[in-house]
Amino acid sequence: MKRILPLLLAFALLAGCGGGTPAATPSAAQKTDSVVIAMGPTSEPEAGFDPAYGWGAGEHVHEPLIQSTLTVTNTDLTIGYDLATDVQVSDDGLTWTVTIRDDVKFTDGEPLTAADVAFTYNTVKAASSVNDFTMLDSAEAVDSTTVVFHMATPNSIWPYTMAIVGIVPEHAYDPATYGSNPIGSGRYILKQWDKGQQVILEANPDYYGEAPQMKQVTILFMEEDAAFLAVQAGQVDLAYTSATYSDQSPAGYSLASYESVDNRGFNLPVIEGALTGDVLVRRAINVGIDRQEMIDNVLNGYGTPAYSVCDGLPWYSPDSEVAYDPEGAAALLDQAGWTMGTDGVREKDGVKAALELLYPTGDSVRQALCADFANQLGELGISCTMEGVGWDTAYDRALTQPLIWGWGAHTPMELYNIYHTIGETGTAQYSPYANSTVDSYMDQALACSDLEESYTLWQKAQWDGTTGVTQEGDIPWVWLVNVSHLYWVRDGLQVAEQKIHPHGHGWSVVNNVDQWSWG
Amino acid sequence: MRHWNGRRAALALLLLALLVLCAVTAAGCLLGEQAMVTDFSRKNLSPCGAFLFGTDWMGRDMLARTLTGLSLSIRIGLLTAGVSAVLALVLGLASALGGWVDSVVSWCIDLVMGIPHILLVMLISLAFGKGFVGVVAGVALSHWPSLARVIRGEVLQLKGATYVRTAEKLGVSRLQIARRHFLPHLLPQFLTGLVLQFPHAILHEASVTFLGFGLSSEQPAIGVILSESMNYLTTGKWWLAVFPGLSLVLVVVLFAAMGEQLRKLLDPASVHR
Repeated sequence: MKRILPLLLAFALLAGCGGGTPAATPSAAQKTDSVVIAMGPTSEPEAGFDPAYGWGAGEHVHEPLIQSTLTVTNTDLTIGYDLATDVQVSDDGLTWTVTIRDDVKFTDGEPLTAADVAFTYNTVKAASSVNDFTMLDSAEAVDSTTVVFHMATPNSIWPYTMAIVGIVPEHAYDPATYGSNPIGSGRYILKQWDKGQQVILEANPDYYGEAPQMKQVTILFMEEDAAFLAVQAGQVDLAYTSATYSDQSPAGYSLASYESVDNRGFNLPVIEGALTGDVLVRRAINVGIDRQEMIDNVLNGYGTPAYSVCDGLPWYSPDSEVAYDPEGAAALLDQAGWTMGTDGVREKDGVKAALELLYPTGDSVRQALCADFANQLGELGISCTMEGVGWDTAYDRALTQPLIWGWGAHTPMELYNIYHTIGETGTAQYSPYANSTVDSYMDQALACSDLEESYTLWQKAQWDGTTGVTQEGDIPWVWLVNVSHLYWVRDGLQVAEQKIHPHGHGWSVVNNVDQWSWG
Repeated sequence: MRHWNGRRAALALLLLALLVLCAVTAAGCLLGEQAMVTDFSRKNLSPCGAFLFGTDWMGRDMLARTLTGLSLSIRIGLLTAGVSAVLALVLGLASALGGWVDSVVSWCIDLVMGIPHILLVMLISLAFGKGFVGVVAGVALSHWPSLARVIRGEVLQLKGATYVRTAEKLGVSRLQIARRHFLPHLLPQFLTGLVLQFPHAILHEASVTFLGFGLSSEQPAIGVILSESMNYLTTGKWWLAVFPGLSLVLVVVLFAAMGEQLRKLLDPASVHR
């Protein structure tokens, strides 16, 4: 019997796995105002729901839900108002004056005043390790509804920063406990947080705006395969997923694909003497890559070609777009002196055209994109090897080698971070590159007092007709694809219109969960 | 076959296992190039005539990858088992000196054996910067204690043996005694121990790589293959894990069988079977 028992158990297990019939989708019919969402484990905010420690801000920006913000980004990524009723900037760009609503209360009943706003900004400036607040000197409450930001340097895109900083109450803010017991004035209240498992949000009954239609939002943190199993078992209403699973069809769910600026691209280090140091080679790479093939191969079609770090955003320059042109690429490489050798690898002065590409280890999508990129470059006559690296060494190594990155944020600051030179090094932060014209456009854009006008300057930084970071310019980065964000959505759940998703496959989708409905 | 006695059968089995392992190693070396080829036009194929083990999400041939991975594992196993067996032999012999040397050696053995094995491998691998060097260092520096303990026991027993003490009294140098009397006696234990370290070394290399503390993910190592396959199991791509996993088990079993047969051949007690 001792021997038979494990065998029986094994059979029982197998039988359990084999049963493909989904468990009866519980409560789907009765649901009217609650929703269960599965997100990746990395979406759980490590330091809790405290804006000073990265909630809503940081690498993966989204609306903080529990707190209100001064401004919001609209679906077209222009700026709208949340708490703010008016935003004015002085001509020198050094003083922002924001008036706020006077009818807003925190969930503990205390009114939200300009003093709370000033307190919040001074706190995040001092405490935030994930966001750059060096452009802010100090915030000051002039009266109960007017707050003035004194800037250290002009920053025309300040409204985009204001869109991600949740306002915390001065009277009830303790950095040690606020993260797990946040008090805000936003659409939702944190009801329960079981660390490592789930977060339950409940609608704020005193919310000053339109009352949330979803009264209860439960967010489960689980790995991708667990999320898929939860979908198969009918336990969640919306679950993140990836192209790997896109050919599956769990009963009662459909696949929703949301466009993103969650881009992937390689830095091409501009180093004298290196293969990527030659602008002709970089241009050849940019036009010699068939982005659509990459999307079909790696993303099962769920993606869009990327030509810049900010495709489709108001500050995107359409001049970035290029057409796939393998002959043109070959001609550029010939022109650069890299002639095709007998073994299919180009050479110049006895040196083979070779690149060692890096990808972050453990990211199968980037690994596959890297492999496809390597294959396509191989066809152009550049032989490539690949190496997986951890983030502990990746930043350093990217200063000399191409690494596949992921970017995409709801602020033009990203252009600055990638292309602008920093400090005394005279070169950009993540990959060697310097162009004083590009720098000066971005400096002007930041100093500009008009947001609309700054968009034009950001576009000129990309391409002004003679120089820039596009194909005809220096092309120090080659952008490959924007990875669409995929979700399993239970039939009947109406997900409200999404604004283009930024990098990070997490909280963005629930930005407007209050407007979702069942029907 | 009736005239085959136990020793002959053991020898035949030993050679057969050796042959298979050598063939796998050689095949892996030859297929190294092919294992790295990605071809998206043939991704996610289930096992078929052209690809016996199927292909993965980048269209890599899993048979080539598995063989290359096993070959890599075997070579790493060879290196690490060799290093740790020599380490064990040296330390075991050193304890013959007695006194504080013996105390230090036994303290080291206890120390290393006291730490959970996989944890130790991970820590050493991390300290050496992961990758090939990390894995080799991690496995080599953590597998010697049990063999060292066996050898030390034998050595202590030998030290008390009459013929050794006689040699000592006759003024034979310690080095001579170690070479002429100790080594021949210890050789069977050593060889068996060496071979039996292989399965351990290979499994630990695979597990530490699986956990992400070992070989880099572009390497076709079994640990990498298995950890990658985890992402695809829920979508029904069973072949990504089953064949490489089974192959790993097979290799480990072959090594264990080799060790067992070798012990039979070298063990004086079984000489007449």
